[in-house]
Amino acid sequence: MKLSEFIRPASLAEARKSLRQLGPKGMPLAGGTALHFMPGKTPVTAVDITRLGLSYIKQKGDFFVIGAATPLADIQRYRGPRWAMHEICRRISTHQVRNVSTIGGNIARVFPWADLPVVLLAMDARLVIYSGKEKDMPADEYFSSQPARLFRGGDLLTAVKIPVLKAHHGFGSVKATRNATAFSLVTIAALLELKGGIIKSARVAAGSGIPFPQRLKPVEAALAGKEASTAVFREAAAAAGAAARWVGGEGMSADYIRQLAEVSILDALERAAEFARGRAA
Amino acid sequence: MNRHEKAKNFKQVNHSVTKIDALQLALGKDSYVADFVPNDALIVKMLWSPHAHARIKKLDVSRAEKMPGVKAVLWYGNVPRIAHCTAGQGFPEPSPYDTFMFDKKVRFVGDRVAAVAAETEEQALAALEAIKVEYELLKPVFTLDEAMAPGAPVIHDEAEAHVPIPIPYEPKKNLVAHVACEAGSFAEGLKQADFKFDHTYETPYAQHCPIEPYTSMARIAPSGRIEITTSTQVPFHCRRIVAKTLDVPVQKIRVIKPRIGGGFGCKQEILLDDVTAMFALRTGRACLWQFNREETFRTGRTRHPFRIRLQAGVKKDGTITAINMEAINNTGAYGGHGLTVVSCAGSKVLPLYHCENIKFDGKSYYTNLPVAGAYRGFGATQAFFAMESLMDQMAEAIGMDPMKFRQINHIREGEGSPIFAALGEGREGTPMTVGSNALAECIVQGAEAIGWKNRKDWRGKTGRYRRGIGMACLMQGSSIPDIDMGAASIKINDDGSFNLLVGATDLGTGSDTVLAQIAAEELETTTDKMIVYSSDTDLTPFDVGAYASSTTYLSGEAVRKAAAHAKSQILATGAEMLGVLPEEVHCEDSAVVNSDGSKKVTYGDIAKYSLYQKNQYQIIGTASHITKKSPPPFAAHYAEIEVDTWTGFIKVLNYVSTIDCGTAVNPQLAEGQTEGGTLNGISYALTEEYLFDANGRMQNASFADYHIYSMRDRPPLNIILVPSYEETGPFGAKSVSEVSINGAAPAFANALYNATGARVREFPLTPEKVLKAIKAVEGKK
Repeated sequence: MKLSEFIRPASLAEARKSLRQLGPKGMPLAGGTALHFMPGKTPVTAVDITRLGLSYIKQKGDFFVIGAATPLADIQRYRGPRWAMHEICRRISTHQVRNVSTIGGNIARVFPWADLPVVLLAMDARLVIYSGKEKDMPADEYFSSQPARLFRGGDLLTAVKIPVLKAHHGFGSVKATRNATAFSLVTIAALLELKGGIIKSARVAAGSGIPFPQRLKPVEAALAGKEASTAVFREAAAAAGAAARWVGGEGMSADYIRQLAEVSILDALERAAEFARGRAA
Repeated sequence: MNRHEKAKNFKQVNHSVTKIDALQLALGKDSYVADFVPNDALIVKMLWSPHAHARIKKLDVSRAEKMPGVKAVLWYGNVPRIAHCTAGQGFPEPSPYDTFMFDKKVRFVGDRVAAVAAETEEQALAALEAIKVEYELLKPVFTLDEAMAPGAPVIHDEAEAHVPIPIPYEPKKNLVAHVACEAGSFAEGLKQADFKFDHTYETPYAQHCPIEPYTSMARIAPSGRIEITTSTQVPFHCRRIVAKTLDVPVQKIRVIKPRIGGGFGCKQEILLDDVTAMFALRTGRACLWQFNREETFRTGRTRHPFRIRLQAGVKKDGTITAINMEAINNTGAYGGHGLTVVSCAGSKVLPLYHCENIKFDGKSYYTNLPVAGAYRGFGATQAFFAMESLMDQMAEAIGMDPMKFRQINHIREGEGSPIFAALGEGREGTPMTVGSNALAECIVQGAEAIGWKNRKDWRGKTGRYRRGIGMACLMQGSSIPDIDMGAASIKINDDGSFNLLVGATDLGTGSDTVLAQIAAEELETTTDKMIVYSSDTDLTPFDVGAYASSTTYLSGEAVRKAAAHAKSQILATGAEMLGVLPEEVHCEDSAVVNSDGSKKVTYGDIAKYSLYQKNQYQIIGTASHITKKSPPPFAAHYAEIEVDTWTGFIKVLNYVSTIDCGTAVNPQLAEGQTEGGTLNGISYALTEEYLFDANGRMQNASFADYHIYSMRDRPPLNIILVPSYEETGPFGAKSVSEVSINGAAPAFANALYNATGARVREFPLTPEKVLKAIKAVEGKK
């Protein structure tokens, strides 16, 4: 990506206006870490969105609201009741990158290896988009295909709303990597709602190892209404092959990645169940 | 007093003085090649071959030459065609002359096609796109089997390819080198064995990944000479090879080595300097060429992948009766270091254990894959994986603890090996007996640190996570005997400080500091009195450069001798000043002192006297050094791992890396080298991998996809320096830099077996490979 100009709008409205005018020649810029992966020699004007008050984390009713320009390092350090987002954030890249890379940048354009879409899908998050006024949409809709489609008219992602986990809810995530800073081979996130040891509802999502982050519906189906036990989790994990098209990478076969996904699903479910049963957040 | 305890009395050596360039580097002062580039330097960019094997039918640079900012374009049509070798080795090299500045043929993805020098990087890149090339694609050769097959495509079919010394070289068969020897009779030895083994091992490509990529800047000095500032391990070889390649006299070239951001062997190669020098000649301008990371992976040098067949026989009592190693390496598209690396697979490994019947056969073949070269460990790394894996298997067969099996068999002080005499570098080796050897102590201390006595046969366990402990014993060498030469000179200044000029090449290793300590120890002064200047072909004495674990041992002894030479002059002048006979004085704390200590003159006074006052002369010492031996540093490595038997992931719980490097001239730097080498080896064993597509193009040429360990991945590492005293080295020192990379792969393979019963004979130990091996074992149960 070649940046030729840089503008710093004073307000969201102004940012949107600039981006609308620039069209494909403009690009919202926050942490800027994705630039490295974006080819293209056409000069682009960067519209800085880091000074629009979009960097915050606050609890508001049933949601934690995270500003789109909040660096991952802040999310990693934040603590709130039954907060679970730090777990995945501390596994993303390096400390230096997390200091600048933002949650919005991580999900406004989804790279195949991105971890946050997986977590947000499992958590049933809501994504707030500004198009003159703010409105939000569920993660399922937002991540149904490349979200960049939503921002072509200069609209901007402004916040991510994550439901505050209730009692008996548990969350677990697993990121399998070759070394500490490598991209994920498989990322799995699971949200379980238990009632008396029975799984009332389950949301399980995957990313990396598949072309685009998605929920694993057959896995979820195999959990609902069943006892939260290792045997059930194992059986559900075995549905991974039917749930998504696993692809090889880093010299490893698709079949291996699927096996790794199955084990990761099992591990994520165990963690989620442990969380739901009352592990300290 | 044990011999090694001598080192305790040293005042400069065996002390962790601060690296003399530490402050400069920490403050970010101009230090590296790219720091010295003038603002108006031209930027060099290369058009690389997208094909693994092709002939260039047509090459048209006319449009590129007219592009804005372009000052010159180089291609085969406008440069001399001189066959040479890019490997920075002794002269004449034991490697083929099979490389041209530019050729009509490309032999791997990343081979040179044409180069542009332009005012800006953007202009240079734009010009590359304007170069038109028509290729005639040739059948590529990607595997050893393909390279060796009768009728295989000939990678070097040019008439000029030849070797400058009489060594086997058959380019028509893609054979780069062949070396063989036998001591005793392998066949007879095998007959005496109770157990016989025959296994084949494969080791992978890897890149050195120095933080500072290959960088070279050339310009024309006011005198008209070519001045090359370059990130190199071998400034003097660089001067010689550039002179040959450009067909200009050596006299016309000056090579300057500033601070270097790591080499590990890959900068023992002249890959940029011929081009920057040629551009400087053509344009009269300073020209900078710096590889990016992708170029470093694709075109930079790599580690030779090996296939090693190892046969051995062992008696029930633990006597190894016979060993046969057949090692074949893939040297890629060009053959530099092909012979020497395969020789070292034998010469640095086979002497480690007693055996009267040893046979070795080493071959090196061309392929159309990235070019291999020197890399820390240099053949020993690959062969130790095979040897140390088999040692565990032999121990198991005779029911002996693998540590004990090594203890009863390893070479000891005062012992030789027929291999030392049989395997040299393109000629016979040098007979040698081992002087210093603390391997026995390394094994004991390492075992204690890892908790070897608690190790059990854990193969019967059934849980998901399984623990295993494995070990490996290692050796390397210290310089190449009768070939490597280092030299130094040292002169005194008015205030009793010294200029120490060395050809030795500090790559970030700290050798400038270590050499200063050696000089200071010999001169009975302090290290901070040394002003070290290293590696400038105009100003410093010759040195072959930083490779073959030679700097401390070889260049260090040259420094010690030069310091002793200066010291004799200091003593003479000091005696003259004190009015006593030279025999009646000695040096002490930067002064010359008479026998009862009643009179003394400081080095500053002596310098001023000799420079300004009476019987004036420059006190200057100079010396050269070659060695008759290559004393091996020894090491015992221990790894404790946890294997996830469901996913195949290996977690390193604990790693103990012991080393006998003789006297550690600077213990902190020696530990740093050992830790770095060990971590380098762990990364190579577990995560580093060259992934190729069907056309021989590396698919993961970036740090995002090629996984090297960072400090975040560092497992608990316990580095133990076990002292010995090498009489032939400066103040008892031998080498430290290479040996530690050799241990991780076999130690992990042995630990994995201990944990699961899965025996892997190739690495990296990717989760998929490990899982497959575990499942194969479970399938048998």
